[in-house]
This record gives sequence, structure tokens and C-alpha cells, in this order.
Amino acid sequence: MIRTAIKGLTANRLRLLLTAASIVLGVAFVAGSFVFTDTIGARFQTLFDDVYAGVDATVRPDQEVFGPGQGSLDEGILGEIEAVEGVGSAAGSVAGFAQIIDADGEPLGGQGPPTLGFSWVDEPALNPMAISSENGRAPRHAGEVAIDVATAKNEGLSVGDRVDIQTIGGVHTYTIVGLANFGTEDNLAGATLTSFTLAEAQELFDLEGRLSVVDVVAAEGVEPEALIAGLSAIVPDRAEVVTGDQQTQEQFDQLTEGLGFLETALLGFAGIAVFVGAFVIQNTFRITVAQRVRELALLRAVGATGSQVTRLVLAEALIVAVVASAVGVLAGIGVAELIKTGMDTAGLSIPDGPLTVAPRTIAVSMVVGITVTVLAALLPARRASSIPPVAAMSDAHARTSPKSLRTRALVGASLAGGAAVAMTAGLLAGNGASAALVVGGALGLFLGMSTLAPLVAVPVARILSAPIRGITGKLARENTARQPRRTASTASALMIGVALVVFTSIFAASIKASVAETLESSFPADLAFASTNITVGVSPAAVERLEGRPEFSVVSAVSMGTFEIEGEEIGVVGVEPETVSRVYDIGASIDISRVGDGLMVHEDVLETRGWSVGDVISIDYSGGKNVSTEIVGTFIDQTFAAFVISEEVFVELISDDLIAISFARLADGVSLDEGLAAAETAMAGFPNVDINTKSDQIADAEAQVDQLVALFSGLLGLALVIALLGIANTLALSIVERTREIGLLRAVGMSRRQVRQTIRWEAVITAVFGALLGLLIGVGIGFGVVTSLDDSGLGSFAIPWGQLAIGLVAAALAGLIASLGPARKAARMDVLRAIAYE
Amino acid sequence: MTLVPERVETGVAARMEGGVKVYGSGDTEVRALDGVDIGFERQRFTAIMGPSGSGKSTLLHTLAGLDSLYSGRTFIGDVELGSLNDRKLTLLRREKVGFIFQAYNLIPTLSADENIRLPISIAGDKPDEDWFNDVVGILGLADRLGHRPSELSGGQQQRAAAARALVSRPEIIFADEPSGNLDSRSGGELLEFMRRAVKELGQTIVMVTHDPVAAGYSDRVVFLEDGTVVGQMDNPTPESVIDRMKTLGG
Repeated sequence: MIRTAIKGLTANRLRLLLTAASIVLGVAFVAGSFVFTDTIGARFQTLFDDVYAGVDATVRPDQEVFGPGQGSLDEGILGEIEAVEGVGSAAGSVAGFAQIIDADGEPLGGQGPPTLGFSWVDEPALNPMAISSENGRAPRHAGEVAIDVATAKNEGLSVGDRVDIQTIGGVHTYTIVGLANFGTEDNLAGATLTSFTLAEAQELFDLEGRLSVVDVVAAEGVEPEALIAGLSAIVPDRAEVVTGDQQTQEQFDQLTEGLGFLETALLGFAGIAVFVGAFVIQNTFRITVAQRVRELALLRAVGATGSQVTRLVLAEALIVAVVASAVGVLAGIGVAELIKTGMDTAGLSIPDGPLTVAPRTIAVSMVVGITVTVLAALLPARRASSIPPVAAMSDAHARTSPKSLRTRALVGASLAGGAAVAMTAGLLAGNGASAALVVGGALGLFLGMSTLAPLVAVPVARILSAPIRGITGKLARENTARQPRRTASTASALMIGVALVVFTSIFAASIKASVAETLESSFPADLAFASTNITVGVSPAAVERLEGRPEFSVVSAVSMGTFEIEGEEIGVVGVEPETVSRVYDIGASIDISRVGDGLMVHEDVLETRGWSVGDVISIDYSGGKNVSTEIVGTFIDQTFAAFVISEEVFVELISDDLIAISFARLADGVSLDEGLAAAETAMAGFPNVDINTKSDQIADAEAQVDQLVALFSGLLGLALVIALLGIANTLALSIVERTREIGLLRAVGMSRRQVRQTIRWEAVITAVFGALLGLLIGVGIGFGVVTSLDDSGLGSFAIPWGQLAIGLVAAALAGLIASLGPARKAARMDVLRAIAYE
Repeated sequence: MTLVPERVETGVAARMEGGVKVYGSGDTEVRALDGVDIGFERQRFTAIMGPSGSGKSTLLHTLAGLDSLYSGRTFIGDVELGSLNDRKLTLLRREKVGFIFQAYNLIPTLSADENIRLPISIAGDKPDEDWFNDVVGILGLADRLGHRPSELSGGQQQRAAAARALVSRPEIIFADEPSGNLDSRSGGELLEFMRRAVKELGQTIVMVTHDPVAAGYSDRVVFLEDGTVVGQMDNPTPESVIDRMKTLGG
């Protein structure tokens, strides 16, 4: 059977190619996701191991460092460390926020990769950065700085140039004396790096007399264990000694924190592509089985059993799957390389080195490709076994009778209905475990709808094509109606991608509407001052300058940080109790000015955790401070973190320079323009502060949502491409089937243009049918999700009609593009051969 | 019924001059047509006969503009086909030529009515409804028009094909074994209709067949062997055709 299968496949390359294409794409996405994330991880691991190879031990504050000035060591410790037996050399350094201001006065970076400032360490073994001789020298005096090579290249900066750098103390001008590499790299994952003398860095980062960390090299012949033991004896409270390896690993983990999430997200989208591919594969096999009824019947006639025929079709599927999956893995590796190159070009450099192709990558990709293909071919293969031997002799028996419509309606409706119930249940449950219910429900919904689709395919195709005039339209209409299952299955592949895109845009539109509504109703402030850099806040000095301006009646700052409750790190917001309610309505249950030392908790969190107002809970702040705090009230706003404390407590226990945003209200009689002008004057020395009006805020929020939608749509793009490939597949195969018909049409006078037109209309009708199904499901899921998330502040269900209309037109155009190849092929068909075709 | 022939002009509807058609090359070269000179008069029913491989189908295809000659010229009316590009050839087939094939004559998704109107629909024209009704009436299809091909008998399908060829009033109709797939009664009916189309409606028909009985319905039989015309016979009967065939090889 395998030999027959191979012969059959090589004899029909079109069939092979069409089936393989969708598998290749799906598998390539899976493999590419693995290779890409593995490679990033491995390359940075190598880089970090390399640059920190010389560090044998590190002395550091024993708490999580999450902000400049957080946790530091007394400078004096360096001398003590150097005196410890077994220490070869030791170097202390400080690190903090430093952002380069470009020629236009705009701060560089901040939203994406961090902007890091260091003190320069002279001991090369202890300094991850290095300056080669042609790139200048290390900073030795105040006012000198070394920056990373990549940033210098991007900004056209070179040694000797003067550059403005913003730190928490304000903006100062420095002379670039050196361009530093991070290990062998120009840069560290796109971060901008600046390095100053120790004394200057200590001053800039508000760390006079202190060190962030001390790295130690063991003396010759000293075992790391002995070194650690020696150091442990002298480290003070609230400091600790770790091995160089551990420190390296932790740094690495911090940098690649998001990698696991990225991998999951990419694989999720790859899964969608594979799922859509399964539809295309199934349809292709269904059509090819239908076209080979005579051939398969002949096999039956000469003695093959029904199950042998099934095995033949499955063997073909298996061969195609293995070959296509292998090609897919290779393509995935290529794609990963391409993305890596793209990121390099975009300045997000990933250290050079080979791609990481783990055995797991190959195994999982192959298994996914093969399993999905064979599963998708299972139904058509089973159907092949029911072809009677007599079909070899006569066309009359060649048609397999379709299952009864009632059964189909019943199965489809119960599948879709059950899936909808599961999704609703999952959404309403609203916790982590329900995600599986929602995803499973979505899958079921797609399968159910695709089961139902053939029932409506004919009437819908007729309605859709009603406006198309002429014989070409008529023929296209009849062709789509001729094989409802085929049309529906082809359309279903497109349906999935479209449904997900539609859902995403509805979700986004609803978020936008909700955000706009929330901001309008709960945000009486006229201006907001937000930091362009997420790692460092608005400088308190900046807030002070605002408070001094007569144009503003109220200025109120909001800080964001974290604390721990029951061992869990949670976001917390610090507000100025006297003024916050005049700039921001968070829906508090009490007068916020009475918050005192107490804690306000979001209503939902209060309920989930089973607390009530008046309870006293235990909070751990950084640095090991434990404070028992009374819950004094609740609030309902969603934009803030779930916990609110007073600014006073925040400054005392967390930090005084984590102001995330500061709000201001204009004084009576001051226009928005006057206020803006005043704000700009006041913020002149703080280029990392963005001044936003309320409409800016709304636009910002919308822009962020739009970015996400664009990203999602891009990632769903492959699923759409596979679906379009499916349309091209179906058409190409149908044309082979209709060779005689096309020949006849050409013989009686149909022009090539008319033949092309017929095929094109057919593709457009199918594509629009699929898009409409997708639209229906997308809107349905969107409505379900948005309304069930009502409690979480996503109340406004909004349908972006304009986008959906554009989407429909786009689907029609895409169908047109998918039809170009098949239409050309049909039009080029030799009339005489088509007539003689058997 | 208006059975008076509309076109009374005589002359030649289609002709071939020095027609040569070669398949393959070298050792495998086959001369399917080897210098054919032939003309087909208007309002005549001509049968082309010959043993398998004699080149009769090739002659039909090249005459109809479905295939091109290696050398020589073919004309439909006054138009020389070799000078036409695909678009013009398509237009010529649409306007001047009708076809009846042995099988697969109808588009399965269209009703008999739509199939008969197909060439006219393709042209975007409106048919002459009186003429349409006449043709459909003569062919006995009036009550079958709403049916799809799969709901028609073999004879009805071939008659629908004949109706399609007639409705656009072509210069000439080419038929390739039109009765080849039919039982003798249906086949006889179809051939009788074709003869009436010539006699009463003034059509011109060229039919390829290997069946002497079918040839007996024609006005003239042209015999072909090894790609050349080897003889002809006016007012044939099945018996006279059989006698003549015996003198041919194969």
C-alpha cells in the first residue's frame, strides 16, 4: 500500500504540493517560535556566562532591587571585603537610571528596553563592559561618560561629542570619552548603556557613600566555597553573598523574564495556524478522494478491501505529513533567522551566534504536523473505504451519498451550542482554570459552525451572488452551490481567522470605548505628567516645580510600586490623600483624605480574598519591614492597582522617587493652552516627562490598544494566508475536475477573460461567505466576552462597523488574489485537450 | 412555424486548402492530415467517414478552429482561421460555429434552457425568442427546459446540444459522433432532427462518424484514409456506404 501511495503521490504533484503547503506553513510557525525563543535564551545565556565569567562571588543587598536607591551597601564594606582571606580583587559599583537625550531634545528609549547607568569598573574581569583601543577610553573624570557602541551608531555620536543625559537629579551635559561593548556585543538587547566614574555615578544616582553591589574575584588557588564562606562571615545584616554563577543566572533570568510568555503567545498563534491548516488539509483530501473514485474503485475491483483503501489514503497523508513537516521545520528555522536579522536591523540586537535548534523543537513540530495531517485525513480516508468496486465501471455509483441533513444540523447545532455554553461558563468563572474552557469552547464553536456551514452554503451563496450579472456570475454561483460541503469547508478555514481578527477588533473597540468613558467620567484633571520611562518615575523635583506654578489649582502625584501580602508581590499605588479626589475619581467608599496609615482595597479583591473593611492585614515591604495595616475603605476604579495607600506611607516604606504620574487642574480662568505653556516651561529640565491633556490620554490609551490589535492581526495573518491557500487549493482541484466543462465552454465561445471571471467570482463568493461566518462568530464571541467582563470595567460593547466593512471588502479582494493562479490555469487550458479529457 | 430557410445564398460554408497536420517528429511522426483539400457547401449535411486513425477528428477540429494546421489554410465563410488570435477565434466559434460532441455536451449546473442559450448568454445577447421556440419545438424539448442535464435522457441531452448549436444560427455546425453514445432509436431521432435542420431550417452540418447508418442520413459522405480524402459519395444509403467502406483499408 505504501508503494501504491508513493506512486499515486508522485504522479500528481499538484495534489502533493497543495496538501503540503498548509502543513509546511503551520509547522514552520511552530518550529520558528521554538527556535526563536530558544535562540534568544541561549545567546544571552552564553553572553552573560562570558561577561561575568571572571566574577567568583557577589556581595549585594539581600532584597529585591526594584528602583534606584533601593537597597545598597555602605561603601566601607569594600575595604572589609578586600581584607578577607582568599579575595583576589574586589570592585564596587553603582547602577541607576540614566537616559540619553537626543539632538531633538527627546529622550532615547524608555518604553521598551531599559536605559541603564553604571559606574565604570576598572578591573576588566569584573566589568561586563569593555572599550577597545580604537573606541576611546573609560571615564576617569567628572563630566565624562562612556556609552554603548550601538546607541552611538544609531545616534551618530562619537568620542569627543557632548551629550545631555537625564538622571533622577536632572539633566547634565557630558563628554563622550569612550564607546563600550557589552561583552562581544555592541549593546545589551537594545538597552542604552551609560557609564560614569564611580564618584559621579554615586552622586547622580543619589547613592553618595554607597555601593549597589561588590563583585569579587578569588585569589589564585582559592576554591569558590572557601571564598563564599570567608565573605559570609563579614557581610552585614541585610546583605548577602552569592556565587558569581548565581548572580549571572539571576541577571539572565531578569533579562529574559518575558521569554516564556512570548513563547506561549507565539505557540498559541502557531496553534491557530495549524488548526486552520487542518481544515485545508481535510478539504484537500476530501476533494482528491472524490476525484479518484474511479481509481480507488478499481483497487477495490481488483481485490483491495475497504480498509486497505482507507490505509492507502492515510499512507499518502502520512508521507505528505512527514515530508511537509520536515520542510516546515527547516522553514521555521529560516523564519527564526529572518526575525533575528530583522530585530538586529531594528536595533534590538541579539548576540551573534548559531540558532538553537533543540531536539524538542524538531520532535514537537514533527509530531504536531504529522498528527494534525493524519487526523485531518481520517474522515476522507474513512469515506474512501465506502466506495463500491462498481464505481470503477460507471459514474452513477461514483457519488457517495451525503449524510442526512438532519443529522448534520443536529450534530452541528449541539456542538456549537455546547461550545457556546462552555465558553460562557468559562468566562463567567473568571479565573485561571477557566481559560481552558474558553479556548476549548472556541474550538468547539468553530467545529460546530463548520459542520452547520454546508446547510446554509447554498442559500447564502445565492444571496451573495444575486447582484452578479451575466453568465459568468451565474456559472460561479452554481459552482459554489454544486458542492456545498466543499464550499463550506473552504470557507470555514477563512472563518476561523476572520472570527479571531473580528473578535480582537471588537474587544479593542470596547476597551477603547470603556477607557474613554472612564477617563471622561472619573478624570477631572486637565493635565497629566507621566514619565516616558517605566523604570523611573517623574522626579519629585519636577512635581515641586509644578506645585509652584500659579496656573494650577491642584497638583497631585501618584506613585506606583509593589509590596508583599502573604508572600505574593502585588502592585500598590500611593496617592496624596488631600488632593487626589480633585483630579481623579477612583470611586472610593470613604473620603480619601481620611486614609491615614490605612489601606484601601479594590472591591473585587476584597471580596475574592474574603476580607472586610476594618480587618488588619500584614504587609511586607522591601527591606524586611512588616507592617500591620487596617483596611479603611474600598474603591472601584480599574485603572489603578488593587491597593491604595497614602503617599506619605509610600515614600516612607517603598520609595520617594517612583512617581508614575502627576495630575494637575488648571486654576480658574486659565485656558488649556496657557496651562500647557506653563507646564512646558516648568518641565523644561525634565525631558523624560510627557505632558498629556485628557484627549492625549485617551489617544495614548487607544494607540496602545491599536498597537496590540495590529500585533495580533499580524500574528493571525498566517492563519488567514493558510485559509486563502485553502481557497486556491479548492479552486485548483475543482478546475481539474471541471476540465471537460471548461473545454466545452471555451468551444462554444467563452473567452479566456470570461473563464477567469467565472473562477474569480467563485473565489469571491466563497471568501465572502467565510468572512461572513467569521464575522458572525467574532461578533458573538466578542459580545460574550465583553459583557461577561462587565464587572472588570469593560462595560461598553462596541462594534467597529467601519473596520468590519473594510474587512469584508478585504476578504473579497483576498479571495480574488487566491483565485488568480487557478483562474489563469483554467483560462490557459487547451480547448481541444480539455474536450478530449477523460 | 417558420420553417422557410432564412439564408438562401449558396456557396461554401467552410473549406480547407492543402491541410497538413503533423503530430510528433522523427520516427514517431504521424501525419494526421496529409494534404487535404475539401469544401462544405451551405445547407448541406456532410458526413466524414474513415477508419480509426484516418484523421477524421483532426479534420473536424482544425476546420472548427479548435486546433491549428501545420500547413495549409482553413476558412469559415471567407475568414481564414490561421490569421486569427485566440480572442478572435473564440468570437468566431461563438458567432459562426456550433458544436455537438459525442458526450459531455452540457454544463451540469445549468438547466436545459440555460444550456441551449449558453452561446448567446456568453455573448451577452438576447436570443430571438421565436426562433428559440421553433428549435426547441422541433427537437421536442419544450417540456424539458427546466430540467438539469442529469434529469434528461441521453437522447434528450444530445437534442439539447443540437438545439444549442442551432439557436445561435451559426454558419456551420460540427458534430463529432453525435449519436455515438445513444441507443439506435434515440440516435435515429437525433439524426433525423439534424437532417430536418438542414432541409427545413437551412443549416449547414458537418458530422464525423464511423457508423454507416448515421452516414446514411447525410447528403454527402467524404471518405478519409491516412490523412487524405480518398473519395466521396452523394445521397448515400447505409448499404452503399458499407460497400464503399469495404474497399478502404482498416
